Amino acid sequence: MLPAQKFSELLGELDRLDRLPHSNSALQNRGHNILGALLRHAGYSSGAIWLQGPVSRSLLLAARTPDFECPSELSRTLPLRILDRSGNGESEEWSRDYETMQPAPHTLVPLRRNETPLGLVALRRDQDEIDGGTLELLEAAASYLSMLLTAQRMADEAREGDFQLKYRLWELESLYDIGLSIASTLDQQELSDEILIRTISLLNARRAALYLRKGEQYEMFRSFGEVRGQFFGSEIDPDSFSGLLKNQSPIRLSEGADCLFPGCETLIAVPVATATEMVGVLAVADKELRDGGVGGFDEKDVRLLQQFATQAAMALENARLHKDALEKQAIERELELAATIQRDILPRTIPTFPGMEIEVLARPARQLGGDYYTFIEREEGMSLCVADVSGKSVPAAILVSALHAALQLLFDEGRELGEIATELNRHIHHWSSETKFITLILATIDRENGLIRYVNAGHNPGYLVPPGGSLEILHSHGLPIGLMSDSRYSVQTRPLPAGSLITFYSDGITEADDETGDEFGSERLEALLLREHAAPVKSIRSSIDAAVQEFVGGAPQRDDQTLVLVRV
Amino acid sequence: MMTEELKVTVVRREGGAILYTRGYINNVGGEEIANQAYELIDQGVTTLLLNLRETKIVNSIGISILIEIIEKMMEKEGRLGFCCLTPVIQKTFQIMGLAQYAPIFQDEEAAIREFEL
Repeated sequence: MLPAQKFSELLGELDRLDRLPHSNSALQNRGHNILGALLRHAGYSSGAIWLQGPVSRSLLLAARTPDFECPSELSRTLPLRILDRSGNGESEEWSRDYETMQPAPHTLVPLRRNETPLGLVALRRDQDEIDGGTLELLEAAASYLSMLLTAQRMADEAREGDFQLKYRLWELESLYDIGLSIASTLDQQELSDEILIRTISLLNARRAALYLRKGEQYEMFRSFGEVRGQFFGSEIDPDSFSGLLKNQSPIRLSEGADCLFPGCETLIAVPVATATEMVGVLAVADKELRDGGVGGFDEKDVRLLQQFATQAAMALENARLHKDALEKQAIERELELAATIQRDILPRTIPTFPGMEIEVLARPARQLGGDYYTFIEREEGMSLCVADVSGKSVPAAILVSALHAALQLLFDEGRELGEIATELNRHIHHWSSETKFITLILATIDRENGLIRYVNAGHNPGYLVPPGGSLEILHSHGLPIGLMSDSRYSVQTRPLPAGSLITFYSDGITEADDETGDEFGSERLEALLLREHAAPVKSIRSSIDAAVQEFVGGAPQRDDQTLVLVRV
Repeated sequence: MMTEELKVTVVRREGGAILYTRGYINNVGGEEIANQAYELIDQGVTTLLLNLRETKIVNSIGISILIEIIEKMMEKEGRLGFCCLTPVIQKTFQIMGLAQYAPIFQDEEAAIREFEL
């Protein structure tokens, strides 16, 4: 075959080579094609080829014939031009790399572009002699191949640049999409999976795990790939992770990484922290390389993982706030239900009794009040009770409910007031905690005999204003209900001339305070009763209410306010 | 715990082949797909459909391998398409340029109709 024809066929074959390989298998495929073309067209019988690797850029063995022993990687020192043992080439010394080749090659063909090594072909022929045409053919082929490899390398670098630009866009879009997901769902598991998936994808990691704080430990919440344990920190070297757990600093490990992910070579772990506390740990392991191996994570990877951890923290915080809001709503619903029950306990309307005029002011300070009042029809007239239980809100409401039930039962049994108070004390003391007690004033209005019988158990004094205008104070004469188990209560009796005004109230009236902390006080109430006792009870109620409101001004109401006025 | 290993199942059809993937398309997974695809291409198959219904994750190395497969298919003047992608993977393919050269179908039926498989 003519040299020109050989040359044309060889170049034609080389021209059909694939573009630069990204993987070792593709590198081998390419090496096999180049070596095969050179052996076929230049008259050699065996040999090997080394090409620049896809990642390390060192010269890696890409292909060899079965009978040719040689190193898997070469140093970057290449001969300046083709060397041939027949003496036609330069008489440079063959490096140690080349001496290890068995059988010894006849020709070494360097592939280089200026100072950049691209590859080397070692060839062995059956005879020692070589004709000049073959060396010229190899020189031309090497030159063409070098140019081809360089052009493809540049094209590949441009492609890689384009890929990296798109990768950055992918990174930004991923962070943006997670933000959207956080805004659209509160499912912690779903969000965590999305964060893990995107983290693994963008960091080229093989494994990842998200741990959430549970007491003093971090428990694995979601993971991808095999993870060593359920808890972060249970099997780790405390020194390796102290920076993360104590100072919330990211850590990057290339040794000791096996503690979280079995068989893992490299990992990074970053804190998942809200504005106030560290709530978790996000860790990824084994960064993949294009050649199939595993490499270390770099600072850029740490920064990206921290961004994902920040997103995770936001998602977790949102979910927690939502959970809190739901719980608050549930509590409010329960309070509203309890308030409804309590409203049903208190009289819905003011009852009417022959010869009596009644007015009530009831204003709880909260949704649930601790004040109680009731009216009960009796043979001799009417009984009433005004009470104030200790505490506020739900506990107070429960005690009010217990008081109501017990009081209704005891009145139904027809007992007299002293017995009712004594029994009530025993009952409340037995069934409620030691810190719970009730102050109350119980009274029965006996119009027929013109008397008022009452028991005042630690409550604010009641007032009795007969038509003449003097004010009689119905002082407490016993301990509050529920305070001592063996308290006994006696009934007090006072004359009750027709036209008298009876006033019972809770301390929310007399202890209503203004913005400076001064209380309305009993003196103001007594003065008002003396001044207006002859007026209609509705008018008296309005006057007391207005006086209290005017006194407190803009100060918030701190306690329940109850006022019961009865004209006989 | 989510799984990571990729499994590829090949179903030959009259007009080409469908590759069903399950798992992580990373380096190892991508090479597995490439091996199967190149084997089919070497056998003369010119229409390939990758059904990624059971793949939730793909990384940049997996993507670069998929690009190589697309290019290989274009060299052979064949066709390659994807179907049943998760929204995350579909968006990733669009950003990374795969969708420019390989059509993405919402479901397998649409892909089979278009590719006449």
